[in-house]
Amino acid sequence: MFNKVLIANRGEIAVRIIRACRELGMQTVAVFSEADRQALHVRYADEAYLLGPPPSRESYLLGEKIIDIALKSGAGGIHPGYGFLAERADFAQACLDAGLAFIGPKPSAIAAMGDKAVARSTVRRAGVPVVPGTEGEGSLGDEELLSLAPEIGFPLLIKATAGGGGKGMREVSSLDEMPSLLHSARREAEASFGDGNVYLEKLLEGARHIEIQVLADAHGNVIHLGERECSLQRRHQKLLEETPSPFVSDNEELRQSMGALAVRAAQAVGYVNAGTIEFLVDKDKNYYFLEMNTRLQVEHPVTEMVTGVDIVKEQIRIARGRQMRYTQDDIFMNGWAIECRINAEDPYNNFLPSTGRITHSLLPTGPGVRVDTGVYPGFEISPYYDSLISKLIVWGETRAEAILRMRRSLEEYKIVGVRTNIPFHQNLMDSHRFMGGQYDTRFVEKRFSMEAAEEGKTDQSGIAAIIATLVAHQQTQRAAHIIQRGERDTSNWKWLSRWERLHR
Amino acid sequence: MNYVTTIGGREYVVEIVDERHIMVNGTLCEVDFDNVSDQPVFSLLLNGQSYESYVYSGDEGWEVLLHGSLYLAKVEDEREKRLRASTGSRVADREEFHLRAPMPGLVVTVPVVEGEKVEKGDVLLILESMKMQNELRSPRSGKVSRMRVKPGDSVEQRQTLLSVI
Repeated sequence: MFNKVLIANRGEIAVRIIRACRELGMQTVAVFSEADRQALHVRYADEAYLLGPPPSRESYLLGEKIIDIALKSGAGGIHPGYGFLAERADFAQACLDAGLAFIGPKPSAIAAMGDKAVARSTVRRAGVPVVPGTEGEGSLGDEELLSLAPEIGFPLLIKATAGGGGKGMREVSSLDEMPSLLHSARREAEASFGDGNVYLEKLLEGARHIEIQVLADAHGNVIHLGERECSLQRRHQKLLEETPSPFVSDNEELRQSMGALAVRAAQAVGYVNAGTIEFLVDKDKNYYFLEMNTRLQVEHPVTEMVTGVDIVKEQIRIARGRQMRYTQDDIFMNGWAIECRINAEDPYNNFLPSTGRITHSLLPTGPGVRVDTGVYPGFEISPYYDSLISKLIVWGETRAEAILRMRRSLEEYKIVGVRTNIPFHQNLMDSHRFMGGQYDTRFVEKRFSMEAAEEGKTDQSGIAAIIATLVAHQQTQRAAHIIQRGERDTSNWKWLSRWERLHR
Repeated sequence: MNYVTTIGGREYVVEIVDERHIMVNGTLCEVDFDNVSDQPVFSLLLNGQSYESYVYSGDEGWEVLLHGSLYLAKVEDEREKRLRASTGSRVADREEFHLRAPMPGLVVTVPVVEGEKVEKGDVLLILESMKMQNELRSPRSGKVSRMRVKPGDSVEQRQTLLSVI
């Protein structure tokens, strides 16, 4: 059994895993790129080793080097976090071959769930419904796909077999436009994943994206920790998650039947450790398997807040070969939790990523608030990695309390130096549709805009005008002071150029 | 000092009375305005009401982020308004342009000489006024003529400084 863990990741998730290890009394080993020398995970870990230059493929994706560092430092287990090497079956296998515990599922389960077509046919055989489509039919040519399309019905989606993140995905509304869309989807999939295979899937309208967290140990115990509502997305990137789902809410029957199906899907691939089964749920509460994420999810904290289960600690426990501390009967959902992903993106400039040094940061605190972050004032947000700065998570006894608490936390949260999407979340918290739980996966793109959200809100132009005027006035005064005449013995121009040199 | 601040087509006339008081559209308010730890974060106490906001200077004015809403504010003081009135006037290309002082002040520099060819937008003269240096630009292209001032001269408001023909 290992007592030292290497964390093969960076940012907030590396910090999160280090915290769990610390609390378990385990030693931690961080790895970092040249861009992350001052990152929190490097500062918090017991040991830290340089991987290489900033680009991921020269640092955090160097599986062999990471395994080497683990062996040299005497770490017995590797936690991959999410992203980077987390869902690479070959890396998980290489860990095992080197005699290291991989804190995640077996390589075979990662492989089975990684290929979407294989995953769909596997769970379908286990009796889990999948969205109607051409899954499990192998690689089909364009002609076969075109002839199968009318059977599935329009609108439908073309999806990349090896896909993810919306790449190689196309929405098709009629047979006429399908050939050209097939062509472009294949081209994009080929470029992104080196695999041009695609399959068709029925497009469910008004569908929600709801996922079930599962935990499984090596002793054959599999449990689920309820659902997470992840429908609030923009370009297939999740922005906010909550649990329970307002759509499932107190429908315990729906929750338990989805949970039981998720458990069955996990068992179908002999799953061990933490994983997530994603479902699409239509407006009539029919649900279909979408895919399985064979890793710790970004949004795992909301589940931790309502169930009280520390998922990361449980992952480590499972990887050490122990039994889980919980059975299904121990799991209850208490209250409501919401997570806002705080990204370095400017919501007023088409969510363009913003980079730079964080010069000032004031974290929200107080009852029911949790912030998972890897940054601090003075830290540089570099263009090499994703734009996630932190996750702001709140808990409330009811959904209403959680929303109100999130509102006040967002108002308290100050980050200066980069633009963030905090104003987006503030507008979302004020949106009546969000408050009513009336949203689907298209909500952010189709029905929400920063301007529309601002209609009907208390207009504070007057206050803003006063603030702007006072700032401008201060600046004028300061500028006037600099070039004030007659107070210096040298010429104004000389003085000005000296002053400029001083402040360069 | 008087400022005219515009947000979304609405004008606010803000007069800085003293350190603690301003007049907003004719109403006297008590203010306490502070910069938080040298960051673009500002705290305003307005008649006891507390507001906190980010303020950035953007291309088209000040961007004020307040309670999750972004306001675009254009702040002009009287000097700038007058400047705009003096140079912003449409001058036909064939018409002679007489540069007049938009306000009383001191001529700091005259980067052009009599007879020099200038393009539209070129700086003709730098006038110091209200402790600020103001660049006066040519509204048309042409030739500098009838130079009436030199650096160091004090000028009155509306005094003709030079012409572009």
